[in-house]
Amino acid sequence: MSKMVKLTIDGKDVQAPEGMNILDAAELAGIHIPNLCYLKGMKGIGACRLCLVEIEGMKAPVISCNTKVKDGIVVSTKTEKILEIRKFVIDLILSMHPLDCMTCTKAGVCNLQKYAYDFELKESSFTRKKMGYPTDEANPFIKRDPDYCVLCGRCVRVCKEQGTSVLEFMGRGVGAKVVTVGDKPLQESECTFCGSCLDACPVNALLEADRWLKGREWEYEKVDSVCLLCGNGCNISVSTKNGRVQKIRAGAPEGSAERYICAYGRFGFDCVEAETRLTSPFKRVNGELKETTWEEALSIVADKLKTAGEDAGFISTAGIENEDALTLKKFAKNVVKTKNFDTTVNLYADSDSLKFSQTADINKSDLIVLAGLNPSQWKRVLPALDASVRRRVNGGAKLIVINSSDTKIAEVATVILKGDEISSLKGIAKFLIQKGLSSDKKLEASLKDVGTSEEIEKAASLFAEANSPIVFSSPPIFDASANISLIKGKVICVPLESNARGVALMGLTSEGRTYKDMISDGMKVLYTVGEVPLNKKPDTDFLIVQNSHLTDLAKQADIVLPSATFLESAGTMVDYMGRLKYLPKVIEPQGESKSHRDIFIHLAKIMGAALKRPTEAEVKKAAKVKTKLTVKPFDRKKVFDISADEFIESVNASVINGSRLLWLKESEKAMANTLT
Amino acid sequence: MSEQKELKVEDIKTEAEEKRCPVQKSLYYVSKFLSDIMCGKCFPCALGTYEAKKRLENIISGKSTEADVFIIKRIANDMLEASRCKKGKDTARFVLEWMKSDALKDHLEGICHDRECLALIEYRIVPDKCIMCGECQVVCKPNAIVGEKMKPYFSGYLPFEIRQKRCTKCGDCIKVCPTGAIVVIDTKVKEEVKG
Repeated sequence: MSKMVKLTIDGKDVQAPEGMNILDAAELAGIHIPNLCYLKGMKGIGACRLCLVEIEGMKAPVISCNTKVKDGIVVSTKTEKILEIRKFVIDLILSMHPLDCMTCTKAGVCNLQKYAYDFELKESSFTRKKMGYPTDEANPFIKRDPDYCVLCGRCVRVCKEQGTSVLEFMGRGVGAKVVTVGDKPLQESECTFCGSCLDACPVNALLEADRWLKGREWEYEKVDSVCLLCGNGCNISVSTKNGRVQKIRAGAPEGSAERYICAYGRFGFDCVEAETRLTSPFKRVNGELKETTWEEALSIVADKLKTAGEDAGFISTAGIENEDALTLKKFAKNVVKTKNFDTTVNLYADSDSLKFSQTADINKSDLIVLAGLNPSQWKRVLPALDASVRRRVNGGAKLIVINSSDTKIAEVATVILKGDEISSLKGIAKFLIQKGLSSDKKLEASLKDVGTSEEIEKAASLFAEANSPIVFSSPPIFDASANISLIKGKVICVPLESNARGVALMGLTSEGRTYKDMISDGMKVLYTVGEVPLNKKPDTDFLIVQNSHLTDLAKQADIVLPSATFLESAGTMVDYMGRLKYLPKVIEPQGESKSHRDIFIHLAKIMGAALKRPTEAEVKKAAKVKTKLTVKPFDRKKVFDISADEFIESVNASVINGSRLLWLKESEKAMANTLT
Repeated sequence: MSEQKELKVEDIKTEAEEKRCPVQKSLYYVSKFLSDIMCGKCFPCALGTYEAKKRLENIISGKSTEADVFIIKRIANDMLEASRCKKGKDTARFVLEWMKSDALKDHLEGICHDRECLALIEYRIVPDKCIMCGECQVVCKPNAIVGEKMKPYFSGYLPFEIRQKRCTKCGDCIKVCPTGAIVVIDTKVKEEVKG
């Protein structure tokens, strides 16, 4: 814990941790200091001058966003002088602002509007300046309207900090403008459409492209949830109106390095109402899929499962909630009485690595090691991990990239260790032991004949010097990475799917045939849950597809059961950092679709068995990591036989194809074609 | 580029001081500051000096009101407190210094004592002093002077006059007039032109 500092702000006694700035300290005490350019978690730049405060004994006002709290200082945030300056600045900005709050989508959450109200400014007392810049709205995601821009630079800084660096200032003063390289539209720039700039913009200059006439902030209901579309499992904040999702924004706390969501998480919600969305069960009649009732569909499924018994197989994605995973396991094991239930996790990880992975706070780490991982915002493979690592690096943390192939994130690394990951990790461990950081005999013995190189020693010394290093490891080399963390720091196993860790902890790991076996072995009945990465019907007598969308696989199924999406079903998940996160039911399921667990419970009932919904306590107990790490051989467990970006794209196929993300995919393809 | 010395606020102040009229000094300074020196990293400077320039332009064009002077002073005062760096604060200080002069009030009434604010002045020819030599017509680039040169034994000459619409107030004619017949007057005051 950091030391607390006592100070006075506007006559109020305030306690704030040492090193915090006055602006944040005031916020803690419930005193809002106006600001436009400040971004929590980043160094204050003092451009807007709104956050000026006076400190007793100091001649001139100081900017509170970049002045640290000190013991005993007396701060006034509302002196006459300060108020005049703030009013002056707002007045100046208003002179170049459209002032059309009555139809502005940002009304209600616009900082400029709020401050103009506070200072009773109906209009500007300065000369009206009209810019008349064209808007950039050629893409379906982000609309940029420079006429509203207050030049605070938040978007520019957010973009730069997370490593995308698409936006930049052009010109100075009144004529300045936020532009892409060459002032091109966003889709012709390097933009990944993550929308971080949308979260940062205090006015209407950057807005979701589809927000016009979709209601304003005060009409929205805001719910915190989690995105289940990839291994990052990012926090999201969902706004709904009249039971429909209107927008999704990043949900991690302001100032956290993890406050990021990618285009999938932010704009993929269209797929809830896509044309391919399943709203009722289907069955195959004379070779064609025909709509049917739940009762009929479920009785057919129940019959098939009963006769198949232990020859039935269940394959699921790891993008399902813990409750669904628990219910699925119980249903398969106790009701259908088969040992064949497995998930897509089996394609890229073993459940032990996921179970033994630790928890850590990336915001507090000063050294990050990426072992065997290649996160990329551009390919949308663990994009949030890429963004938060880059943010931490910009915040002063060091980065070591250990990878046998080239990675994009290596461009911000302090040390890059190419070549076999296992031998690099061994080298680091050896060096740390030589330095006397560990006296584990077993570990020492396994590293007898290991040599180190200059680069490895450099990496290892960084590791030895760091206060709280975190090793993010790909699952196959988790044991080797974990051995390092036994010496020092934390180790996190990073899967490709959001709830892979939760699914492993819930015990949804095959006790019979594995995922791959089930696909090729010709099961009597194959039951797929969620969006499994299959396009062709596997060799099976009877295929049941339970998914939210009519995928290519579903078109070949014998029975299709419509399930709810993660926005429509309440539950929990365990993200890659090991945090148990709660997902509320944000909207009602479309049509007759039901949550996975409800379908299993219903099926069990028809099959004559009582299956209960898992209780909160049950899930919490299962989600706890109980086991301690032990020294294991430095071995590679399994070789990835899938490409991470293709895998993530295929488990999200219906999200992409059923939303405006399709536009992005196709325009990226077109761009790639023109380049080659 | 490296040979070129970076321009400093003091440099453009010196340049500005070469002018006599304090409003012209301020305008020259502010314009030069905006185009050459300002970093534009904080709002009071970036947005304020531009506004100040607009208002100063109002004043020299003779369309000014009390509000313009008030706003320039407000901008300067706030910049002095709020600007991030010394450049901005110095700018405010200089402008405030120049604004102290009484000349400002006279400008509101349409008088530029230093006769530098062109919108506020007019060139006139004093008929009594004019010897109709035609020298002024020769040097006048925009052809703003009408009149006929005196020829012996002829009468009924067109007198010399300056067509205000064409006059650019460059001052070339004054330099060549042998009798000092061309004078500068304040437009608004319309004082009687006398010999």
